[in-house]
Amino acid sequence: MYRRLLININQVRNRFIHTHNTRLTLPSTKCKERESFAPNEVNAEVNTDGQKNTEMNEGTDISNATLTSQLETEPVVKPEDSKQLEKTKSGKESLLELLGAMKVEVTTVRKIRPSKTPRMSESESSNIFLYFSGTLNPALVAAVSAAASTLPNRHQAESELLKQLRKHEAIPDTQRRADLGHIIADMKVGKRPNGRSNVRPTSQISFDDDGKGYTQDKGITSELGVRRRKSPFTSKRLNLFAAGAEQDTLSDLGPTLWDIDLANQIVQGTNQMPRNGFEEMIQWTKEDKLWQYPINNEAGLEEEASVPFHEHVFLEKHLDESFPQQGPVRHFMELVITGLEHIYWFRDYFRQKEDVLKEAEA
Amino acid sequence: MDQSQLAMVVPRRYLLSEPPSAPVMASSCSQALRHHVCKSSRILRIHLQKSYRSFALNSAADQQPAVSSPEEIVIPKKKTWSKEAVLQALASAVKRDPTASDSRFQDDPYLTPKTSSEFKLFSLSQESGRNAAKYFINTYPKYFQKDYAQPHIPCLMPETLEAQIEEASEAALIERIRMRKVKAAVDLYDQLLQAGTSVSLDVTNQLLDLICFCGDHDPAQENVPEQRNEETEDVQDEPQAKKGRAPKASGLLKATWKENNNAERIFALLSEPNTHSYSALIRGMVKYGAYSKAFSTYTDLLNNRLKADVQTFNALIIAAPEVKEKYNEKWELIVDLLKQMAEQKVKPNLLTLNAVLKALRRCGTLGKSQAFPVISEMKALSIDPSLASYNHLLTIFYKTGATIQGQTDILQEVMNEVSGKSFTAQDPDDAQFFITAMRICLDTKDMEQAYRVHELLGVGENWRLLGNDFQQNIYYARFFSLLCMMENIDVMLKWYRDLVPSVYYPSSNIMRDLLQALDTDNRLDLIPQIWKDIKQLGHANRQNLVEELLILMAREKHNQEVQESFAECALDIKKIYDTGDRGKVLLSWTAGSLSDLISVLLAAHRRQDAWEMLKLFKTHNRVPSEELLNRFLTCVKEAGEVNQAVELVQISAGFCLPETPKLIQRVQQEFELTEQQRNMLSDLEIQTFNSD
Repeated sequence: MYRRLLININQVRNRFIHTHNTRLTLPSTKCKERESFAPNEVNAEVNTDGQKNTEMNEGTDISNATLTSQLETEPVVKPEDSKQLEKTKSGKESLLELLGAMKVEVTTVRKIRPSKTPRMSESESSNIFLYFSGTLNPALVAAVSAAASTLPNRHQAESELLKQLRKHEAIPDTQRRADLGHIIADMKVGKRPNGRSNVRPTSQISFDDDGKGYTQDKGITSELGVRRRKSPFTSKRLNLFAAGAEQDTLSDLGPTLWDIDLANQIVQGTNQMPRNGFEEMIQWTKEDKLWQYPINNEAGLEEEASVPFHEHVFLEKHLDESFPQQGPVRHFMELVITGLEHIYWFRDYFRQKEDVLKEAEA
Repeated sequence: MDQSQLAMVVPRRYLLSEPPSAPVMASSCSQALRHHVCKSSRILRIHLQKSYRSFALNSAADQQPAVSSPEEIVIPKKKTWSKEAVLQALASAVKRDPTASDSRFQDDPYLTPKTSSEFKLFSLSQESGRNAAKYFINTYPKYFQKDYAQPHIPCLMPETLEAQIEEASEAALIERIRMRKVKAAVDLYDQLLQAGTSVSLDVTNQLLDLICFCGDHDPAQENVPEQRNEETEDVQDEPQAKKGRAPKASGLLKATWKENNNAERIFALLSEPNTHSYSALIRGMVKYGAYSKAFSTYTDLLNNRLKADVQTFNALIIAAPEVKEKYNEKWELIVDLLKQMAEQKVKPNLLTLNAVLKALRRCGTLGKSQAFPVISEMKALSIDPSLASYNHLLTIFYKTGATIQGQTDILQEVMNEVSGKSFTAQDPDDAQFFITAMRICLDTKDMEQAYRVHELLGVGENWRLLGNDFQQNIYYARFFSLLCMMENIDVMLKWYRDLVPSVYYPSSNIMRDLLQALDTDNRLDLIPQIWKDIKQLGHANRQNLVEELLILMAREKHNQEVQESFAECALDIKKIYDTGDRGKVLLSWTAGSLSDLISVLLAAHRRQDAWEMLKLFKTHNRVPSEELLNRFLTCVKEAGEVNQAVELVQISAGFCLPETPKLIQRVQQEFELTEQQRNMLSDLEIQTFNSD
């Protein structure tokens, strides 16, 4: 039954991914464009951890819109899904998960899970923290001080953070959400050179299910809507070759050994077995084992085709030696080889004998 | 009629320009025209229809009476049909029969394979029979000189395997090259050079081709019976099939490029090697693993102010990942080669770009960023990607073993590109596509894409690109795993009935998946049916499969009808345990399988059969569980068989089960016992107490 549950989860998830994929293909393709087709390389991961920052040797700045759009469109993590993911959670992933959790709390929950490593490397990233929390939660204040402690000027940073936090309290919910995009835009996004761990960043950063936040950011989405349908197959080319350039052909000596070998390999690799009797007959026809199926009136006349017509008509050469040069035999044979004459001869013959025939009343 | 026939001979132009002042003639002409039209070809008729139609349209539009001059009839060009045209048309009308076995087995119903091992055996024996015949014909050509066929069929005649030209000449050399006799050709070449005869560059190049192609070894005799690679998918399935595997091309693969071999020697003798000579050498070096040497030969070629040809570049691109360590270095080398191609105005072909994509598979993350630009480059050069290109693309984005991270869209994009297209084989790797695509579907559990992949397989001649039997097996195994996992059982069974066993013989693992799918969808009532298939497919001797089946049957209560069929099925399974194959016992009873079987029988109220089974515990030294004995006792009680109840307790005591006292108690309480039985039970009680 556990298996069954898993299957169900997978089904739900797949369906889910599908609907989102179809609905929201834009941002990911857009990312692909900018990030040279490695959307999954781009961790939508905020550098909240100093340690992590050093780890990311290829930290790439990603443009404002790219990231926001990606964030906008991330599907909400299904409860089952996250349950599944929790099983394989390590330190870094828990951080990611924290981010995901924060996102959900934008409008609904006002509580924040304390980070295991709450050190902040950049004040702007801690701003995010504040944004998500809303109220001055004691846990948050603690997080702020922890974050500030990593900065050189500890007290200033802390007070600045708290000030920001309170200021933030005054901002109405909707505006806050609108601002979110800008803040995320300013963040540095880590790009890891190697493949990520088994947790999908896409499912980590989830989106509000109340829908309000989504409509707020719609402007950016629609702005980019033009590129929505772009498939990776229409990407930029390498531009190494000039299109239409013709190769100066080398003297062709027919198929070389290599060509034959290639053809052989292709044939070996593919299924050449006939599927029915006709296909078998086709194969035999190709191998010349079977007399070809007649497709016109000349079928099977290959030998005749090489004989020109006059050889059928002018037959004098066959009379040369084996027959006398003159006399009745010669004459007879001449008539034989010219059939038409033959008929005329009989016509004349019977015309001459007309009287005899009349007498005989034939 | 005479007139009209005459008119037929008159050219059409003349007929059409006939003055209207001759009505009789005109009518006969129109008659003749009709006649002519009737006799003309189908295409001509179509043409006429078209012109009439357009004429009608025109007149309708212009609202004018039809007085326009008759249209010019264009006699179509003669259509030449290929000699297979009719057969192809006929073949395209034949649909696959899901109840029939593969076409090659239809000649002899006795040899219709029922299991995958039979399939392998029969198809391979057919193949090897053909090869054996060919071997004999070619080895003893003198016995096969009689030519019955009229007209002559060259391919049925023995091939000449011995060189015919004896004296040392260029013609003899060409003959030996054609027959792929490497050693003989090299010897003859040396002889010719020693005798001072010059050999033309073309022939020398052909010789170089031969030596490089064969790696300076005589190729294995072609007509030696040879098999395709027959690695079994799951080794446990077919342990004996491994023995039968032919040495294959393993000898060829081991061969490496040797320093100063004949190819290099002859190449060095050339005063002015041309592109072809270099090409042969470089391709040979790449084929036999001398990668860095190939690159130095290429440098040599450039130093000689020659241009390389496209094949040379293809070979070098294949070699590129081998000579560099780092991903970016590999890629830079490939880009460099491509740039040089462009400089030398060598147009890349499909194989070039497939080689690039294949190399990108080994360039780590660079592959993902560069793969699509490569494809775009292909398209810009109007080279249509083949299935191999897409295969490489998929492999780049979905690495085997790595976890899939939301890259479903790449497969989707690829499927968007290829859907509905008919492909022809152009690259040996083309046949990998379907397997790869289905693997990804299985990994991502994407049923929708799997259906699209399968649909693509049905387009045109694409089925040929699924590859040989072995690959087909893998493909269908993946497809079925996915179906078992994701589809509801009805759809699954629809596929199952369509494809099994006419194109696919499921392995025991797939049958287990199927059982689990039945379990998931609560359709365990189908088990007896599946068991028949399992037997048919030759998996009845798979212990774990049979045990799983028994567990599923015993686990839950079903209605009477189902229980009845389960019981029949269980007895059938028992037979398999009993008989074995040729005296060899295939399955051995375990306590679990025995008690499952007994439970199934008890549930169907087959107490007598179950009682027989119970005795097997002792014969096979297995110990029944307490639960089973209790259940048995309940059943015995329902039947009111006091004797059997006592016997049951005796059996339990015989196994020294710790639960015996409880059983005794139960029997004493629930049954009406005779004095004798009562005594017997109390004796047993004392015995078990003592043994404790």
